[in-house]
Amino acid sequence: MTSPAPAVAVDSLSKSFGATAAVAELSFAIAPGEIYGLLGPNGAGKTTTLRILAGILLPTRGRVEVVGLDVAREPLAVRQHLGFLTNTTGLYPRLSGRELLRYFARLHGLDRDAATARIAALAGALELGGFFDRRCEALSTGERQRLSIARAVLHDPAVLVLDEPTAGLDVLASRFLRDFVRAERDRGKAVAFSTHYLAEAELLCDRIGLLHRGRLLAEGTPAALRAAAGDAPSLEEAFLRLVGAGTGPRPDGSALSPRPPGSDGPR
Amino acid sequence: MKLAQVMLVAGKELRETLRDRRTLAVMVLFPLVVYPLVSLATVQVLTARIGRGDKVPARVSISGPRPIAEKLHARLAARSHDGNPDFALSLPPTPATAADVRAGRVDAAIAVEKPSPGASGGGAAGAATARVLFDETQERSRTARTRIEEALAAGLEPGCTPSYAVTIEGVAPRTAMGGYLLSRILPLVIVVMVMLGAFHPAIDITAGERERSTLETTLSAPIPRSALMTGKVVAVATLAMLSGVLNLASMSITVLEGAKLAAAGAAPSLPWANAGAAALLVIPPAAFLFASVMVAIGALARSFKEAQTLLTPVYFMCMAPALLAALGDFELRGAAAFIPGVGVTLLARDVIAGHASVGAIVAVFASSVGYGAAALALACRLYDSERLLGADDAGLGLRAWLRHLLFGPRATTRDEVINPDLPNTADAPPTAGHALALFGVAVLLLFAFLPIQKWRLVPGLALFEWVGLLGLTAVYARGSGRRFTSVLRLRKPSLAAVVGAILIGASAWLVVGLLVQWVLPAPKEVEEHIRRIIPSGEGKGGFTFAILLVAFTPAICEEALFRGPILRGLRTRLSALGAAVATGLLFGLYHGDVWRFIPVAVLGFAFSAIALATDSIVPAMIAHFTNNACLIALARAGIDEAGTEMTVRQRLTLVAVGAVVLAAGAALIAHARRTRRVRGPEPSEGSGPQM
Repeated sequence: MTSPAPAVAVDSLSKSFGATAAVAELSFAIAPGEIYGLLGPNGAGKTTTLRILAGILLPTRGRVEVVGLDVAREPLAVRQHLGFLTNTTGLYPRLSGRELLRYFARLHGLDRDAATARIAALAGALELGGFFDRRCEALSTGERQRLSIARAVLHDPAVLVLDEPTAGLDVLASRFLRDFVRAERDRGKAVAFSTHYLAEAELLCDRIGLLHRGRLLAEGTPAALRAAAGDAPSLEEAFLRLVGAGTGPRPDGSALSPRPPGSDGPR
Repeated sequence: MKLAQVMLVAGKELRETLRDRRTLAVMVLFPLVVYPLVSLATVQVLTARIGRGDKVPARVSISGPRPIAEKLHARLAARSHDGNPDFALSLPPTPATAADVRAGRVDAAIAVEKPSPGASGGGAAGAATARVLFDETQERSRTARTRIEEALAAGLEPGCTPSYAVTIEGVAPRTAMGGYLLSRILPLVIVVMVMLGAFHPAIDITAGERERSTLETTLSAPIPRSALMTGKVVAVATLAMLSGVLNLASMSITVLEGAKLAAAGAAPSLPWANAGAAALLVIPPAAFLFASVMVAIGALARSFKEAQTLLTPVYFMCMAPALLAALGDFELRGAAAFIPGVGVTLLARDVIAGHASVGAIVAVFASSVGYGAAALALACRLYDSERLLGADDAGLGLRAWLRHLLFGPRATTRDEVINPDLPNTADAPPTAGHALALFGVAVLLLFAFLPIQKWRLVPGLALFEWVGLLGLTAVYARGSGRRFTSVLRLRKPSLAAVVGAILIGASAWLVVGLLVQWVLPAPKEVEEHIRRIIPSGEGKGGFTFAILLVAFTPAICEEALFRGPILRGLRTRLSALGAAVATGLLFGLYHGDVWRFIPVAVLGFAFSAIALATDSIVPAMIAHFTNNACLIALARAGIDEAGTEMTVRQRLTLVAVGAVVLAAGAALIAHARRTRRVRGPEPSEGSGPQM
């Protein structure tokens, strides 16, 4: 039996900004119906990698394919098959939620009836009704994040790229988001997910890639990563052992948060 | 309040502000470099305009009893200034009418009559009467009136009876007067208000998008960059048009009411239809042009504040030609229609005044749309996710730069420690920011060395070129830790490249110079000045000396800077064609002469294209040397002055011969480029498309 073609294939990806190498020789793949977590401290190269997946940035070297399409050659086609959620929600503040979704539906080529039906379905599923006609600038962080998810999945993409989607969210909003992501995974979507909350990654991801200074340190299921680090008691400990920094302060001063919002106790 | 706290805060704010290189660049470059260049160009154009106007004789028709008319004719015919007659006079059998003056067949008409026999007493008793007809709405007619008044008032001893009792009569109809009044005020208002209408929206949709963190959302949508930026420009242009229309309506009503008040109810009637036509014909192309320019500049900015900093000088730069056009009484013909800002202002004036030609309307519309499209294309390139979302330019800080300058590239940067795989910075191309900064410093040096050149031209010029320009390039290379030969792209060229460069250098001046002299002739005095500054090198040693100073020196020093770090830096951001065009424009600007701007810019483009195609600065230096040496040889032979007196046939023949030689040179350069490519790609070229 052959395994299905990966929804996302990253091969020897490198990205530099002038003199700064953000990502170096990164390779991984995400299958349909899989949540792949990119885990690493700030500045590890997570956001850069996800932006390249979304066709917003171009690789300096290497190749990235989304549903078989090369992001460097066919960025527009890639974006038709991909929903990208930025870490800042990125909603247009002077548009209402409804106007925003209509605008993006048109950009994705949905006709008026299809757009109306899809927006109504998402408004129900993501509980947008209470604030759907308010301007985005007047929404709370949680409301904005739900609206952002609606925008990202509006065209029912095969691949979801979520850049630290739970950053700044409260317990309930975080749990709501994780449940939504799992539901999308169960519908066969490939999900690339970045976070620096270790426990959140452990809760949500089927596989994890540990990024450090732009390089992939290790990859596998949460259990496999702990085992690879000598049966580390936690993912945090596994990460520390893998970067060889022990339990003391890391040289770059960056930190990985052990607990995600809304996981197992107050933050 | 403690002074120490105040100083602490002030110190921190100053440090932050001065570390923002773009703000610093705008603060320093614009007042010290761009504004003087623009002012210089404005003064040159206005001076030439005034000089040209002074030399044109006023066409005046004189009618009346023969002896008196002839006497007046003789009096006016004697008037002149700087060797140019004030009047072109006629004594037609049929007196010129007000209609003739209005139609521009004559600039003024004078009807003289004998003194009435019974006249006595009063200041003008016994004087002949002179009735002067002129059109208040025409500049030439106003000039004619002034000259007639001066001529008739001149030469009288105090207390003498005037020879003529002069009455002045304006013949412009009330509608024309209204149109004239509007045409003096409205064009500048329209252009300025359209620009102002585009200003804030352009910032909001570019830098504002980045500041609101919606950029990634926008860029992740499946829409081509061209459609995205065109949509943004259309939105800004719509708001700019709205601003223009509202201001046009408001100003028209204000002028009307003001005129009513001034004339106690008998105000000139205003040509509303013309004002409406001006709105339709001028506002849309102007709005598109300014919206595209401002969106392109706004796309450069990282924040709202930075966009304001960048766009404010651009706003004034756009306003300068419009102001010049509004003040200068220029005619809308020839090149004027194709100068951004000038064309639309003059067209608005002519449409309101009711004498715009179809050709001028088409030319202004087409050129504005063309420039707007070019700016839009630039905006598409600048609104680049790589640049907008990438890490900021990690250039050397001031301290590191000084360390490099003083001690050489020994010290490694932090990035090199972190990333040992990084390319060697000694061979890294200069950045586009460095290129523009170097241009700014070069212009500053030009002004700084001017007193020395005025004191002693030859040593001043040599000092400026070798110490100022070449020294600047060397200091930049050393300070930034780059190899001098790498910054210059100093490589051995192929034989084909050398011969091609010689052919281009020997023919470009012929093609470019003659064509420009034909299409956009400089005033005679400017041509004479240019001839004076090209020494012919009388005598044996003189010729060698002239070649060394005017051909060899700029070929080395100016090329080192312009085809070195400036061209290579711009090439990292622009395509080969774009970099060559931009470098050519900077080269033209740097020469600070509005009349030589086009030919020098075209030559600069040619030298840049040669340097890029051959990947070596040497052929560009050879072409520059050949070009200047040819000019010196012509001056020595005394045949350079023939250019202005050639027939069309002679001129076309020379241009054709030059074009053939130029094409041969270009073919050789292309051959050298192909040969270079076959040998393999060279490192550290920009990433843009090839020429």
